[in-house]
Amino acid sequence: MIDITINGKGLSVERGVTILEAAGELGVRIPTLCHHEGLPPEGSCRVCTVEIEQRGGKKLVASCMFPITGPIAVETESDRAVRARKFVIGLLLNRNPKAIAINELAKEYGVTPEERFASEPDLCIRCARCVRACEINGTNAIAPAGTGFGRFVSAPYGQEPESCVGCASCAEVCPTGKITYNDTDGARRIWEKTFDLVRCARCGAQYATKEQIARVGTGEEDARFCEKCRRAVFGERFKKS
Amino acid sequence: MVKRVLMVYPEKCTGCGSCELACSLEHEGEFRPAASRIGVFRFEEAGANVPMACFQCEEPACEKVCKTGALYRNDETDVVAFNSDKCIGCRMCVIACPFGNIAYNRTAKKASKCDECDGSPRCVEFCPSKALDYPQAEGENLAKKREFTDKMRKALAEVK
Repeated sequence: MIDITINGKGLSVERGVTILEAAGELGVRIPTLCHHEGLPPEGSCRVCTVEIEQRGGKKLVASCMFPITGPIAVETESDRAVRARKFVIGLLLNRNPKAIAINELAKEYGVTPEERFASEPDLCIRCARCVRACEINGTNAIAPAGTGFGRFVSAPYGQEPESCVGCASCAEVCPTGKITYNDTDGARRIWEKTFDLVRCARCGAQYATKEQIARVGTGEEDARFCEKCRRAVFGERFKKS
Repeated sequence: MVKRVLMVYPEKCTGCGSCELACSLEHEGEFRPAASRIGVFRFEEAGANVPMACFQCEEPACEKVCKTGALYRNDETDVVAFNSDKCIGCRMCVIACPFGNIAYNRTAKKASKCDECDGSPRCVEFCPSKALDYPQAEGENLAKKREFTDKMRKALAEVK
């Protein structure tokens, strides 16, 4: 166990725990955007920047992916940390003026758009939550493309992603609503690919894509019904037996 | 922590739906049976009602397909627990559960399943006819639960 302090409060943590996790244990809030509990850390948004004192020196680190390996003193709201966070929020605000999550942060930190920053309004904040979700699902259908300011998320060569099963995890973890999916007329559309939605044999609801069901690997018999009807059918059989 | 099992006695169920209301209020803050983790199926012609909630399977199909560890076995309580912060909304668990006991909440963008309210299920508390019970997992209760699972197994075989 390693003894650390966060904003002066002492805490003992196991080696390898991140500053963000330790702060959570103490109930200290650090704002985040690209962080998702279920995904490996990426450290791309830098909103969770904090200042640490280690071996006599001070520096700024991304708390979501800084593993604690020795005694450190963390300041989440030091002048330097807050200044860095505000700067990052300012950059994000200029590029993503319509993203609700960013506007909320900007309001909290009193940040307003600045003309000197490049602005090319876009909802994507390049946090790669979608990419990480797709990766953890094992589908690897999307990835970051381009470099620097021109970085964007895309399916290979901007074409229909072959390995995509239409699960829509990417859309569900997107913090700004850039990625969307649309279920209409028996089809799901996402990443410019169209998936047939399977109809429940009992109620007719369209509940999943064919590819999703194949990926889960349940037999065709089990997947005939939507989850509600599966429950009802099972309840009925149960009542009879 | 004492291990307990959620017991369902369909023959005692009146189909009043109190469990659904208690559940949705506890988890979603509203009286909306559609958002409840427990569901009562009413077979009016047969005059029978069957409350259905997660069976906390020994080998959960949902846990097996969950890639982020959002679904995991709580070794202290034996409940198949769900950490919604880790859920990425892939819906694989919803498709995988053979009993249809996991639903997907499109508003929250998360799966939803019975967590036995961390040891004090509200559905049991509000069931007026004692069709739901939450006894300690031992002796006679466990034998009853086994009887129940045998019945389930038969039902499952019939479905297939």
